[in-house]
Amino acid sequence: MIEVRELTKSFGDTPVLRGINLTLEQGQVLVLIGPSGSGKSTLLRCLNVLEMPTSGTVGIGKVRLEFRPNSKPRKADVLALRRQSGMVFQAYHLFPHFTALQNVMEGQITVRRKPKNEARTKALQLLAKVGLAERADSYPHQLSGGQQQRVGIARAMSTDPELLLFDEPTSALDPELVREVLRVIRELAEEGRTMIIVTHEMKFAREVADRIVLLDEGAIVEEGLPEQIFSQPREARTRQFLSLLMDQSTV
Amino acid sequence: MNERTNLDIFTDSFLPLLHAGIAFTVPLTLISFALGLVLALLTALARLSDFYPIVWIARFYVWIIRGTPLLVQLFIIFYGLPSVGILIDAFPAAVIGFTLSVGAYGSEIIRAAIVSIPKGQWEAAFSLGETRLQALRRIILPQAARVSVPPLSNSFISLVKDTSLAATVTVTELFQKGQQITAAVYEPLLIYCEVALIYLIFCSILALLQRQLEIFFNRYYTA
Ligand SMILES: Nc1ncnc2c1ncn2[C@@H]1O[C@H](COP(=O)(O)OP(=O)(O)OP(=O)(O)O)[C@@H](O)[C@H]1O
Ligand SMILES: [Mg+2]
Repeated sequence: MIEVRELTKSFGDTPVLRGINLTLEQGQVLVLIGPSGSGKSTLLRCLNVLEMPTSGTVGIGKVRLEFRPNSKPRKADVLALRRQSGMVFQAYHLFPHFTALQNVMEGQITVRRKPKNEARTKALQLLAKVGLAERADSYPHQLSGGQQQRVGIARAMSTDPELLLFDEPTSALDPELVREVLRVIRELAEEGRTMIIVTHEMKFAREVADRIVLLDEGAIVEEGLPEQIFSQPREARTRQFLSLLMDQSTV
Repeated sequence: MNERTNLDIFTDSFLPLLHAGIAFTVPLTLISFALGLVLALLTALARLSDFYPIVWIARFYVWIIRGTPLLVQLFIIFYGLPSVGILIDAFPAAVIGFTLSVGAYGSEIIRAAIVSIPKGQWEAAFSLGETRLQALRRIILPQAARVSVPPLSNSFISLVKDTSLAATVTVTELFQKGQQITAAVYEPLLIYCEVALIYLIFCSILALLQRQLEIFFNRYYTA
């Protein structure tokens, strides 16, 4: 289970997240939407502690960590919390000096301290799952964007995190490559992976989400089931944002 | 003696010169560069640390070494230090001087290479749960090494030639040997050209090695 309480984040004097509260049951998929600059990436990065929250509590799985302004949490606590979630980046960030297989083995070996052959077996399984078994020995630059992102997904899963975080996983991709990545994510949802996904693919969001959260100016504006958010949004902000997206997609 | 042609002088002095090169110039270069690289890496990491005293020590060291002539540094180590009771033989004194030099210039190269690796690489390593040290060792340094090969090769090749400064602290390396032979046969043009030729051979071998190293490091990138 994922629990976020009163999470805030400021960059200097600029507040970017203003008291986020979220609960997510195991196996649920939450899709995070909202205009550019609303703080979606910052929220995901705070959950993975790539960004240090200013205050609030984050609990993922068995690990809970409270952040206080002006006091640094212990490194070991940060590491423990970070290891509860895996991140899929918009720009993939694969390790270019490693093959696809090595990318997916890395965390298992250094973080989970698995023997190499065990890590290899599992990495091959994960690559097969994302449809890239036969590209295991390719270096990232030899793969298409869609393939790289699927390796990125396999890598994020390789350390068995409780929670998978996706920050606009298809935004850097050509339209024809988007489908293959979304298909993989949809399969993970069906398997009961707990995930938080930031995306502008509204059709996909509707299909895959158990819950949709709309973020604006660092606060949650509306939260609900996909049907409710898309057909009967309660807040004016939500209607505005959705109609803006529709306009863009018809242009 | 008067019968000797230039060709005779050239061939007679070639082996002694080559010997001086192989016995002194090559080990002086290799040892200084190997130690210097270690020092350079440590200094680069120190400068990137977030513990200020360490950063300052590293910056101070780089400042001193880069701001003073290598020749003067060698003189201080070999001729200066004995007056405060520190006596170092010529060869190790030269090794110390060159190591400090490679360490300072190399640290800037390595630091720049580390900083040039995109932030996303650190974040990807962190997101897997790696520690800073693991990320550095497994993800960042291997990529930084590739970026550093051309500039570090430059330093290496410069070092081969800089070792001629060791002649001034009585190491009988290639150049010193050339001076000795010149003093005996009075053919400065011939002998110094021969000395230059041997440096050229050494440096060319290194340039070939650099090429191989670049191919090795580029194996996972498009040409
Ligand atoms: N490292 C940083 N330093 C200062 N300000 C930052 C930093 N990172 C993000 N911000 C600011 O925080 C706000 C939220 O940014 P964030 O990237 O979380 O938005 P987002 O919802 O992901 O937007 P997008 O849809 O464009 O990706 C923005 O105003 C941004 O300028
Ligand atoms: Mg973003």
